Amino acid sequence: MAVAARTAESAEPILRLRGVGRRFGGLEAVRDVDLDVRPGERRAILGPNGAGKTTLFNVVAGEFPPTSGTIELFNHDVTFMPARMRVGLGLTRTYQTSRLFLGLSVEDNLYLALVGVEGGHLRPVRLPGRDGTLRSQAREIAERIRLQDQLGAPVRNLSHGEQRQLEVGMALAGEPRLMMLDEPAAGLSRAERVQLTEMLLGLEREITLILIEHDMDVALTVAEYVTMMHDGAVIVEGTPAEIRANQLVHDLYLGRGHYERR
Amino acid sequence: MEQHGSRQQGRWRLWVLVGVLVLALAALAAACGGDDEAAPETAPAETEAPAETEAPAETEAPAETTEGDGAPIKLGILSDCEGAFGAFYEVDIGGAHMPMIARGATPAGANPTDGLENLPAPGGHPIEIVGYGCADDTPEKAIEETRRLIEQLGAEIMIGPLSGDEGIAVANYAKEHPEVTILNGTSGAQDTTLKVQAPNFFRFNSDGAQWNAGLGDYAYNVLGWRTAAAISDDYSFAYTSAAGFIAEFCAVGGQIPNENRIWPPLNETDYSSYAAQLAEIWDEVDGVFLGVGGAGAIPLLKAMEETIGPIDPQKVVGNLFYGDPVIVQELGDRAVGIASADSMWPDSTDPKATAWLETWDATWPDLAGFAGSVFAYNYNSAAEAMLQALEAVGGDLSDGHAAFREALAGVVLDAPFGQISLDANRQAIQDNFVRILTAEGPVTVWKIPQVAQDFGGTFTAETPPPDRTNPTCEPRELPWAGKAEVITAPEEVLGG
Amino acid sequence: MIAGARGRSGLAIVFIGLLAASPLFVSDFFLSAILTKTLWLGIVAASLIFLSGYGNMISLAQTGLYGVAGFVLGNVVAADGGLKVAWDPWVGVILGLVVATVVGLVFGAVASRSEGIYFLMLTLAFGILLFYFWGQVTQLSGFGGINSIQAPGIVSKPRTDPDNLFYICLVVSVAVYALIRYIVRTPFGIALQGIRDEPTRMRALGYNVALHRTLAFGLGAFLAGISGILSVWWNTRIDPGSVGLGRTIDVLVIAIIGGIFWIEGGWLGAFVFTAIDTYSRNIDWLGPRFNTLIGVIFLVIVLVSPGGLIGIWESARGLARRRSGAGAGLPPGAPAERSG
Repeated sequence: MAVAARTAESAEPILRLRGVGRRFGGLEAVRDVDLDVRPGERRAILGPNGAGKTTLFNVVAGEFPPTSGTIELFNHDVTFMPARMRVGLGLTRTYQTSRLFLGLSVEDNLYLALVGVEGGHLRPVRLPGRDGTLRSQAREIAERIRLQDQLGAPVRNLSHGEQRQLEVGMALAGEPRLMMLDEPAAGLSRAERVQLTEMLLGLEREITLILIEHDMDVALTVAEYVTMMHDGAVIVEGTPAEIRANQLVHDLYLGRGHYERR
Repeated sequence: MEQHGSRQQGRWRLWVLVGVLVLALAALAAACGGDDEAAPETAPAETEAPAETEAPAETEAPAETTEGDGAPIKLGILSDCEGAFGAFYEVDIGGAHMPMIARGATPAGANPTDGLENLPAPGGHPIEIVGYGCADDTPEKAIEETRRLIEQLGAEIMIGPLSGDEGIAVANYAKEHPEVTILNGTSGAQDTTLKVQAPNFFRFNSDGAQWNAGLGDYAYNVLGWRTAAAISDDYSFAYTSAAGFIAEFCAVGGQIPNENRIWPPLNETDYSSYAAQLAEIWDEVDGVFLGVGGAGAIPLLKAMEETIGPIDPQKVVGNLFYGDPVIVQELGDRAVGIASADSMWPDSTDPKATAWLETWDATWPDLAGFAGSVFAYNYNSAAEAMLQALEAVGGDLSDGHAAFREALAGVVLDAPFGQISLDANRQAIQDNFVRILTAEGPVTVWKIPQVAQDFGGTFTAETPPPDRTNPTCEPRELPWAGKAEVITAPEEVLGG
Repeated sequence: MIAGARGRSGLAIVFIGLLAASPLFVSDFFLSAILTKTLWLGIVAASLIFLSGYGNMISLAQTGLYGVAGFVLGNVVAADGGLKVAWDPWVGVILGLVVATVVGLVFGAVASRSEGIYFLMLTLAFGILLFYFWGQVTQLSGFGGINSIQAPGIVSKPRTDPDNLFYICLVVSVAVYALIRYIVRTPFGIALQGIRDEPTRMRALGYNVALHRTLAFGLGAFLAGISGILSVWWNTRIDPGSVGLGRTIDVLVIAIIGGIFWIEGGWLGAFVFTAIDTYSRNIDWLGPRFNTLIGVIFLVIVLVSPGGLIGIWESARGLARRRSGAGAGLPPGAPAERSG
């Protein structure tokens, strides 16, 4: 509980969900979700497996559109905007299971993330000036995620922990305004989780954070506000303290969540 | 970047490896080009091209300089061991060997490709078979194999190839390589000799159109057709084949308008939609010519039975593929009586013919029964013509084969199924036969003597090549119309 | 795949120099039937390796696209068959490459949304469609193909004077190799490898994955088209059989024998294939069993090393100096296995 609760109640939300639902055939994975996230907020989305957290994430990131409701991002209606265009608005994300370019080096991975934001995706020539800038930016990010010594290593050869670090690094590229982290601590050792927590706490306030996390220590340390989901719907919202105190949360999740921890 | 360093080293070695590989093979090729004297007598694979890398034209130089002291005459034989005709590989080679065996050579094994021993030596020049080419009925492979036989193994004379488009390609190759002489194997596209006209390419067999001589006349005058349809494969040999029927049927007064010509793609397996096309015009025509070849013949007949009804032999004639008794096995007795045409006369009672058939079966017991096929017969004709010409000039291949080619152009073969001579384009003039299918095989009813490629001026170098719409249908003068020799009366065959 | 390897370039130059000098010490037959064919056949195999190794697009349409360039060339220059319009041979080259690239882009646009086996099947369908197109549109070719296609004077007569075409194929091969090596280190090429590894991530990063794959396919078609032009000059003819299923499989076999993850593998595979294709027919006891031999070699290579002949080399090297956890036999750019 080291972080002061600084929820900017006054500011306009940068992410606004209204009545968002997503069906897969007969399964209603997400139903009628309203959500407001304000600039600079650290928001955790909690819930047991199958609660619809990752589906909600994917809908926000544009992996697939919602089947009902609207999504506004930085005051744009992005409900049906493809994923690749949301990155231009400043939205980046990580994945629950790492989706890295295993055949490329750490530097190339970050370089691609930067090119993704900066444009010139189809440029079939090398421009030393432009590529030099991008590559030095890539190296800076590598330093932030403590992979500066592995720049040339194929990502395939990185340890799991290093791959998770890089996963966050990919989302850091290109000065994002909203970062969505899908279980960034998944599969990390205790020491690595501490390291990750420190890095997330050290992120500048210009970046708004939304994270899904199973690990309560990480989630409740980083987040200032928590949204609790169950069966596709939001059931409780509150500060970490309120969440810890909430009996429903305990019944549904916390006990099980602690049980799942290694 | 240090990992990259080690990978670079790997690349270094990789390039070394590749380089060594290339050099090793290059060296091997160069070594193979060593002197010919060292090469064992008949093992074809071990004799190689001269080491010198000068223009291929040089390959004939040794024959010239060593003339008289028995320099070998290098022969290559090209056929298909893969593709649609791959099954006839040994038959082709066996056919080409027969004239040499008749002159004292002995087979080295049960299969023709095992090679020959004690080959004949016209004028003291022993024939040496440098290799058997093995193509796959694509023109490209035929050319590659031709080049291997001629440019790598040093063949001065080649017999082959087997199929139509290969023949056109090889005739074009011959044009570019005036130093070699090529005798066609059994390919039957019309353009090969009529259009390409390579002075060093000789064909001692009829083309696809000649193979149908007599059939149009028979349909019009015996079966009484006036309007007909034609259904044939959509490629050059089948165009040529259909052209032979169409030109003759129209010449004697019949009608085959373009809309009655149906062209299923080559290698089709389901002919039902084409049979349906035929069914639509079935009431307007008196019969149909079938030119769908090889494996397509029986599926086509079955599709016609399903769409139109039982085959009526009075309403169907076919090209050489429709004399196969397998058709009767597959379709039953209603297929008996289908007329077809071919340049083969296996039921001939002429002693020459029976001797040929018997000698073949005795020489190649594993290939018994194939002597009446175009594969054995035409390769045999080519080799026989080559030997007769070589004997006439005493094996003299000097002066760019000049004397040899002159002799070859004048060869008149007293072949088992009838005389074969060449026209001005070095294309065979040969008898053709109309046969009626029975369960025991085809029974020959008509002989059309000495059919020439030009169909009395219907086909010339200037006329458009046979295709979907050519030749057009018009009455013409045909040298052999109404002049067929009756071998067996058709009624006799059908009655008995 | 790794840029800026100076030592490697040095060796490459020595190797190319050796090849360039080869007309001095190999026979005309070897030069034309083996080396020249290796060079042009290697280009179409390299185009397949480029698409599969860097884009995870195993395309069975490369032979068909190579045929597009060849048939267009055959139709617009002086030839026996086709349209017989007899334009300048260089116009034919340009038109052939442009049409092949455009057809490649169209195919790419259709196929770019599928992956894996569906992509394979779609491209196979394209290849077969092209085969039948040329076979059945008799005005443009027919099954008999187009013969005696005129080449520019610089090509000389490849049958009797093979040096010129050999050098042309050598120069073009080197250029194609250099081009691919360059492209894969540009943003376009690195992004293509990103798409190969994680298309979903690439979308989230803002890339238009379908467009990217389409353009890469177009580039692959262009490279295949180059090979098609050279093959027509070498054969002086083309017919649907040149682009049929058999040839498609040949090219796939060449790429896999050589090494499906290394551009160099295209030429190495083409050399092995051509040498076996030609010389195995000289072996008596083997007789007409060339395809069986190639099949056995293919099987052995696939079982021993998924990275082909180059992969065997890399594996051996990896065993000799095993230091990191790098997967032996797999290149830095090998398609990634999903971890977890």
